[in-house]
Amino acid sequence: MSVLGKVDTNKDARAWCGEIPLQSRYTYGLAGENFFREILENARFMGTRCSKCHFTYVPPTIYCERCLSKLEEWVEVSTEGVVQSFTVLLVAPDGSPLDEPEVLALVQLDGADSMLVHRLGKVDWDELAIGMRVKAVFKPPRKREGSISDIVHFVPVS
Amino acid sequence: MSSKIKEYPGTGLRESDFREKKVLFTEWKPNARYAWDAGIAIGRYLAELKEGRILGVRCRQCRRTVVPPRLFCEWCFRPMDEWVHLQDHGVVNTFSLCYVRWDMERIAEPLIPAVIEIAGASPGIGIMHLLGEVDPQKVEMGMKVQAVWKPAAERVGAITDIRYFRPMKS
Repeated sequence: MSVLGKVDTNKDARAWCGEIPLQSRYTYGLAGENFFREILENARFMGTRCSKCHFTYVPPTIYCERCLSKLEEWVEVSTEGVVQSFTVLLVAPDGSPLDEPEVLALVQLDGADSMLVHRLGKVDWDELAIGMRVKAVFKPPRKREGSISDIVHFVPVS
Repeated sequence: MSSKIKEYPGTGLRESDFREKKVLFTEWKPNARYAWDAGIAIGRYLAELKEGRILGVRCRQCRRTVVPPRLFCEWCFRPMDEWVHLQDHGVVNTFSLCYVRWDMERIAEPLIPAVIEIAGASPGIGIMHLLGEVDPQKVEMGMKVQAVWKPAAERVGAITDIRYFRPMKS
C-alpha cells in the first residue's frame, strides 16, 4: 500500500490562495520631475537638448544616451507630433476583452528626436497610419496631478 | 551600513516630502493574488490541520516518519507507505528572536520562529512555527512545546490554524 492517490473531483484538489501585499511609489527623477511639473502647471512639453549630438530628448533625460554628457539645456517642444508606430489593444491588462479597442502609439513631437508612448483617441480606423499627425489633449488644470495621465490622449490633427 | 560612508549620492526624500506634495510621484498597487496547488500530500496535511491534527507520512524502507507529508521519500526515491497522525507537541530544535517583522517594521517584542520536532516524527524532523506565551530570554533548544490551536470554527485548513507553540507544563 502506498500513499499515492489521485484527485477525482475538483473539490479535493486543494489550492492555497493568497495575496502578496505590494505597493510601489515611483518618483520621476530630476528630469521627469521637471517634465511632469511643466505638464501639470503649463500644459506643455519640455525636453533636454544635447547640443553636441543635436538631439532633443522628450521625455527628458539628464544624461545624453549617445555621448553621456550631462544635459542642462531645456527646450520647449510642440504639443503636436507624428505617429511613428502604433498597436491596437483588444484585451485589458487582466486578460479580459476590451469593449472598445485601444490604440497605443509612439509619438514623436515636433522639435523632439526621441518618442513617447501614449494613447490615441478619436481615431478613424481608415485614417490610422504611421506618419499621421496628432496633438495632445490635456486634462483641465484642476484635474491634473502631475502624471502621464494628465494627458488624456493624442488625437488626429484635422 | 558601513560607518565609512558619510555622504550618499542622489536626492534623499522624506515621507513628509510626499505628504506635502513637494515631489511628484505615482503610486501603484499591483494585483498579486495567487493560487498555489497544494497537491495531494500538503492538501491532506492542510485538511487535517483544520481537524486539529498534524499529519505525517512514513517510509517503511528507511523507517522515517516525516512532516510535512510528501508523496515520495527523498532518501529512498520510492513512494511513501502510510499516513501517520502525529502528536501536537514536540521539542524546539532551533529558534530565532526576530525583532523585525515581515514588512521590515521594527518591533519591540520579538517574534520567535522555531523549528519544532513533532512527537511521533523521526528525530530531527519538524516544522517551522512560532513560539508564544514564553519569555524570549527563556527559550532554549530542547524545550518541550505544545501547539495552541484556534477554535475549530475559526480553522480554515492552514498552518496558521495552530496559533503558536507554548512551553509544555510539566
